[in-house]
Amino acid sequence: MARKRGRGVAGCWYGIARTATVDRAGAWAEIDDGGTAKIVTGVTEIGEGILTVLAQIAAEELGVRPQDVTIGDNDTARSPEAAHAGATRQTYMIGNAVAVACREARTKLVDVIAQHWDVDRELICTAAGEIWAEGTNHRMDMEAAVVLCKQRGVVPVGSGSFGTDTTGLDPVDGSGRPWQAYVFGCQVAEVEVDTLTGEVQVLGIWAAHDVGRAVNPRGVEAQIEGGIVQALGQGLMEDYRTQDGHTTTPNFAKYILPTSLDVPRVTSVIVEDPDPIGPLGVKGIGEPAMIPTIPAVMNAIYDAIGVRITALPATPERVLAAIQEKAARQPVAAE
Amino acid sequence: MPDLTIAASVNGRRVSKSAKPHQRLLDFLRDNLNLTGSKEGCGAGECGSCSVFVDGVLIKSCLVPVAKAQGADIETVEGLARSGELSVLQKAFHKTGASQCGYCIPGMVMAATAAIRANPFVGNEEIKERLGGNICRCTGYQKIFEAVELARDVLNGRLAATALAEDEQEDGRFIGANVRRLDAPSKVSGALKYAGDMVMLGMLHMAVLRSPHAHARIVSIDASEAEAMPGVEGVITCADVPGEDGFGVYVHDQPIMARGKVRYVGEAVAAVAAQDEVTARRACASIKVHYEPLLAVFDPEAAMRPGAPVLHDYAPDNLTKHIPIRVGDVAQGFADSDLIVEESYSTQQVEHAYLEPEAGLAYVDHDGVVTIVSPSQNITHHRHMLSRIIARPINKVRFIMSPVGGGFGGKEDMIYQGMLALMAMKTRAPVRLVFTREESIIATAKRHPSRTTLKMGLSRGGRIRAVEMKMICDGGAYGLSTEGVVRKAAILAAGPYAVPNVKIDTYGVYTNNTPSGAFRSFGALQAQFATESHLDICAEQLGLDPFEIRRINAMRDGATSHTKQRLKSVSYLRALDVAEQASRWEKGAPTARGDVRGDLGGDGTRAPCALGARFDDGTTPKSQSEVA
Repeated sequence: MARKRGRGVAGCWYGIARTATVDRAGAWAEIDDGGTAKIVTGVTEIGEGILTVLAQIAAEELGVRPQDVTIGDNDTARSPEAAHAGATRQTYMIGNAVAVACREARTKLVDVIAQHWDVDRELICTAAGEIWAEGTNHRMDMEAAVVLCKQRGVVPVGSGSFGTDTTGLDPVDGSGRPWQAYVFGCQVAEVEVDTLTGEVQVLGIWAAHDVGRAVNPRGVEAQIEGGIVQALGQGLMEDYRTQDGHTTTPNFAKYILPTSLDVPRVTSVIVEDPDPIGPLGVKGIGEPAMIPTIPAVMNAIYDAIGVRITALPATPERVLAAIQEKAARQPVAAE
Repeated sequence: MPDLTIAASVNGRRVSKSAKPHQRLLDFLRDNLNLTGSKEGCGAGECGSCSVFVDGVLIKSCLVPVAKAQGADIETVEGLARSGELSVLQKAFHKTGASQCGYCIPGMVMAATAAIRANPFVGNEEIKERLGGNICRCTGYQKIFEAVELARDVLNGRLAATALAEDEQEDGRFIGANVRRLDAPSKVSGALKYAGDMVMLGMLHMAVLRSPHAHARIVSIDASEAEAMPGVEGVITCADVPGEDGFGVYVHDQPIMARGKVRYVGEAVAAVAAQDEVTARRACASIKVHYEPLLAVFDPEAAMRPGAPVLHDYAPDNLTKHIPIRVGDVAQGFADSDLIVEESYSTQQVEHAYLEPEAGLAYVDHDGVVTIVSPSQNITHHRHMLSRIIARPINKVRFIMSPVGGGFGGKEDMIYQGMLALMAMKTRAPVRLVFTREESIIATAKRHPSRTTLKMGLSRGGRIRAVEMKMICDGGAYGLSTEGVVRKAAILAAGPYAVPNVKIDTYGVYTNNTPSGAFRSFGALQAQFATESHLDICAEQLGLDPFEIRRINAMRDGATSHTKQRLKSVSYLRALDVAEQASRWEKGAPTARGDVRGDLGGDGTRAPCALGARFDDGTTPKSQSEVA
């Protein structure tokens, strides 16, 4: 049979936020007119959905709804520093900073309303645009609460800063605390290898990843699915080549990317092991999602045809050459 | 050639507009009609971001000369939600979270619309086929398939329209809820403006002259012809840098434009701003640069040898960074091992291939603030660096993030924003630069290619006694993120395993190749590819199930990492258990037993592709299994 199937597994770990240096992020929050909210922070949405994540965090922390939240994003002259979009850091660093800022803004509002109702501030609850005092008949919507707050001369604003307790590495033995949060994951790949052409198709990936606490599970899945397909590209087809420094793959006709026909079915399972340090328990997923894919696929290729690919990518040419080399070594085993 | 007058129907409205004969339909839509929902991703018909309907047929508008649009009926993404309400398909994209960076999405929406129009009962396999000409770099396509299937079923009546509604959260708990992406409507409708979609009154267009040499001394640059060209408003070289030139994520070794010598093919040497893009490119081509070629080095190991050509004076050994990790005594660990396995691994250079090529817009505002709008992943750091480079106080430098059409680490480097700033300062006019796909590929960073040797010693029972790894990463011509990449690679190289003896050395090396930089998973991918492949080789020799060998060695809560950090909570065992269960893994040593496995082909797998088998005649609805 020309088509052979196999399965492989690989694990991973990853550090969250900047490596071996102190990371930090700042944010401002305001419970705004109409019971809406304004968050300003130097966040950079690069497609992962961080704006929605921050709106969810702000909504829950303040007691409004995500669609009521307006986010003022990255502008170095207008927003507080939240540093860069990378290192799987935005949900962790900026998410926690936004939570801290929201808690301060909420406290300002709650103090006024508690005084107004003459109740203990601990009794005050806020959720989805409503504010009430537990165990009493006191209740109003957030819009009215903001009006009342402003009538008392208080604008409910807050600021938040979140930083890490991390260190550089020792230059001799590398010891240090490069991150304060770590995530772990594991993926299983199922492949089919065409032994006549060397083509590998990845048919299924099962991906289990610890993300701390999933703010938006669908968004986490989307990161896992996208990461896996990007890794599959590197594992099987993508290959930027140069000849004496001149690229020979200058466009998408030569530099081959995964398309809708190349992708496996992905089954994501989210593992939640909350971060014990940050206020939200969140960690991250952007980068670790793609780490186990390639070795899982290479282990699956080995399972299918007994050939170990150690040089990426596992193009049909390379797989075929490895099959032929194996057959030459073991002529009896060849089919 | 004289200008054309194009009369056509666009989104149901008659338009009659002047066009240049060299324009493509995509340019006409974007530049002449301000319909910027159609995006340019490659300019060569490869990516599908510019897909529109012409006379009802889905086409790639970057391949169509504008003259062909004469009298045509054109429908763009802006036409789908003309009433102000998103189309069913657009709502489905919103519901399933099918958009991420959003840059490919207008084209994807058009291709998916075409699929459903062609066949209201389009099968799942046919959907894949019909989207095959549209590249998405973020989503992995799965949520896009889900969106198209959902829209198909709402449109053909199998599902009620309520299926498109957002799941309600009644308790006010939004952390943990599948809240729909707030930015999705702007992305699925093409309304969101990326930097390359933005215009300002009096805006100039910039083009960049790039090095044709991998390593050469610049003897002279003569731009007099370019400067004299009608329509040219400014030419800049490194001589226009007023401050301390140099940028990079760790070491500031890269000048805004080549200074004294070029170190890679594609490095910026000079730039021209003109009233239109064609003039800017023509003027660029007229700049005469006299180069004196130098010996170049393309192999990182060759670059590490004494006598190799030196790229940067500060690093006579071409070493960007070396990171050592030491735990215990590996010699003793190997002596105590029953099995020692040694293998070499290598990974290639990889392009980020975000669908949005680099673009930016710069101007000097009314308060004299040098302002740069660009899809950068790190404008905080860019501001610091640029303030020093242009010798202005930090509050006179402003970076504004434009929507990022994919980054993956590739937009962390300040590779063009400095040129934009200098040109805006020189011309006192807004200046825009949009990279071509080819320019994006040759000029910007790649994932570090790596060469790794890994030696692992284990006990008969599968316990790892020692790990020794050496990894050499080709950082290319400039430092960019190399230092961080080799650091992260080293820290994570031995995997989430308790190993008593560890010796890891990672090296970042300068060569005259395209620079390497930040790329999603940043060195950890290269290192763990080696370690996780290696564990399976060891498991086979020890007769252990691959999950088992990982469990035996997995770090537990309170473990000490290879950098001697005590970890509080370690969820690795949980992740292993969950993956094993979800995949219904059949236990056994990895002895190439694919032929005899009993766990293949079940839930969670797709059918393999068989060429030409996916299109049916479009009349009968079929389930996925029937099509497969």
